[in-house]
Amino acid sequence: MESIITNLGIGFGVALSIQNLLYCLLGVLLGTLIGVLPGIGPIATIAMLLPVTFTLNPTSALIMLAGIYYGAQYGGSTTAILVNIPGESSSVVTCLDGYQMARQGRAGPALGIAAIGSFFAGCVSTLVIALFAPPLAEVALKFGPAEYFSLMVLGLVAATVLAHGSLLKAIAMVIFGLLLGLVGTDVNSGVARFSFGVSELSDGIGFVSVAMGVFGFAEIIANLEQKEKREIFTKKVTNLLPTLQDFKDSWASILRGTALGAALGILPGGGALLASFAAYTLEKKVSKNSANFGKGAIQGVAAPESANNAGAQTSFIPLLTLGIPSNPVMALMIGAMMIQGIAPGPQVMTERPQLFWGMIASMWVGNLMLVVLNLPMIGMWIKLLTVPYRLLYPSILVFCCMACTASRTAPST
Amino acid sequence: MKISNGKDFWAGVMFTGFGLAFMLVAQNYNMGTAVRMGPAYFPTVLGGMLAVLGGFILFNGFVSRQLHPWRAFPFRAWYFLGGLVLGVVAYYTQVFFHGLGLAGEAAHTILSGVAILLLFAAFGDRSLWIVLFAVVIFGYLLKPLGLVIATGALVYVSAYGGHEFKVKEATILFVVLAIFSVASFVYGLGLPMNVWPSLWE
Repeated sequence: MESIITNLGIGFGVALSIQNLLYCLLGVLLGTLIGVLPGIGPIATIAMLLPVTFTLNPTSALIMLAGIYYGAQYGGSTTAILVNIPGESSSVVTCLDGYQMARQGRAGPALGIAAIGSFFAGCVSTLVIALFAPPLAEVALKFGPAEYFSLMVLGLVAATVLAHGSLLKAIAMVIFGLLLGLVGTDVNSGVARFSFGVSELSDGIGFVSVAMGVFGFAEIIANLEQKEKREIFTKKVTNLLPTLQDFKDSWASILRGTALGAALGILPGGGALLASFAAYTLEKKVSKNSANFGKGAIQGVAAPESANNAGAQTSFIPLLTLGIPSNPVMALMIGAMMIQGIAPGPQVMTERPQLFWGMIASMWVGNLMLVVLNLPMIGMWIKLLTVPYRLLYPSILVFCCMACTASRTAPST
Repeated sequence: MKISNGKDFWAGVMFTGFGLAFMLVAQNYNMGTAVRMGPAYFPTVLGGMLAVLGGFILFNGFVSRQLHPWRAFPFRAWYFLGGLVLGVVAYYTQVFFHGLGLAGEAAHTILSGVAILLLFAAFGDRSLWIVLFAVVIFGYLLKPLGLVIATGALVYVSAYGGHEFKVKEATILFVVLAIFSVASFVYGLGLPMNVWPSLWE
């Protein structure tokens, strides 16, 4: 226990230096911005910034990149609640109830509870990393292929159970997604599958490109077909503070979401996305009036928003303790560490305590910044969303196209 | 048997088609055995599953109680046929046009562009194909004509696909977005791409 306090002391010493505070602020600001903007996510942003980080010292670089990831979890909920477009893929389930709350004139409390839940989850998961990183690493070390496989199946099954429409079509789409993932060089044999002689395809279909198509373009087209039925709830956002009743309704959900998110974030294949989906499913199961879900239940916002932030942060545990990435963002973080000449693995904790504990402490500092910046600054993000759609969608298209291009042409990838 | 649910029917056709296509292409690779799976193993199994599921969905199109018209989305056969013919022509005349130098290449780009436009315009509502076409144009133009012109094409074409198209508004949007993308992506992030047509340099 004492060693943890000493270690956290070292960490805060590093994280509170002026330079690291600035990079932390930059990271969370950037994270919120790209979180709010649909069609660009932390993966593309971190990929684009990788070459830039080479000029920074390792700790500052990792602090900034981490800030982008968990900052995006805050920003993503704003767009999900106000526009019904997931600003971030991990906010997909927040759309279900957050947008309905906004339609009922309760956008303020929805945004408020999302930020409060996220902050609570951020604090808890920072502590979780500090307390349990070493023992949890031991548990995760025992995972074999069977466990990895089960986890993947769990994720895919959860995705289909959550689907609104036909179960058959959802499963078919999962399989179709797996097939798309097969395009590119086979890791076992080195054969370029389904590339049709196009050299760009031998790297596989970019995660970013598919995400743009599914979340960006499809949404735009659907919106355009509905003749300006898109509702943005901007004027109604007045009271950000949830009522006492809201807190009574959602504190348990925040706790459950945080716990589930923190647990799922550690697992390989986990992270913010899986955490938010699982938390929503759990809430729907345990709730006494599950019929309210999808119609503006505050639990449906509180739980996934807490879970995605907890998951985003605890997914750093496998990275920092084992050196294995649990999701694409962590794979990029490994890239960032390698650029700096650091071999990710269990030795980081002992050989570079400043880096390890500094990063953990910075997460808490970053979460504090996010709440302080996000709630007063919500007006600014909302202004971004009051722009009429006929101006917004060409801009989103340009941004999507640029991000797709960038994810392909960035010198690092 | 009569198709009662057009949406399910076409979704089934699509899934079955994709599943079979993946299985078919996978036959070019080594199958291997269940113990030592070759590169064809996984795609064949998955493609088969997708085809079977697609078959169920297709079947559902006949027995479903939900009624959707057989023509679930607009389909313009003549556009499709025209696009197909032009596309085939463009594919086989590639060498010929490239032999004509710059003007020939431009002509070939326009020819294949029209073919793609016709193929897109054959399906679905106006907004669907215009937005998709705008994105394809951007991809086509980015390398030869540079970021500014490609952005312009993307903005004007996609804005035209909306319900109200105002030239003035689109122009302002284009200027702002072009400046923004050049400043942030080319100068800010240092992405290697042309700002202006590469022909001028």
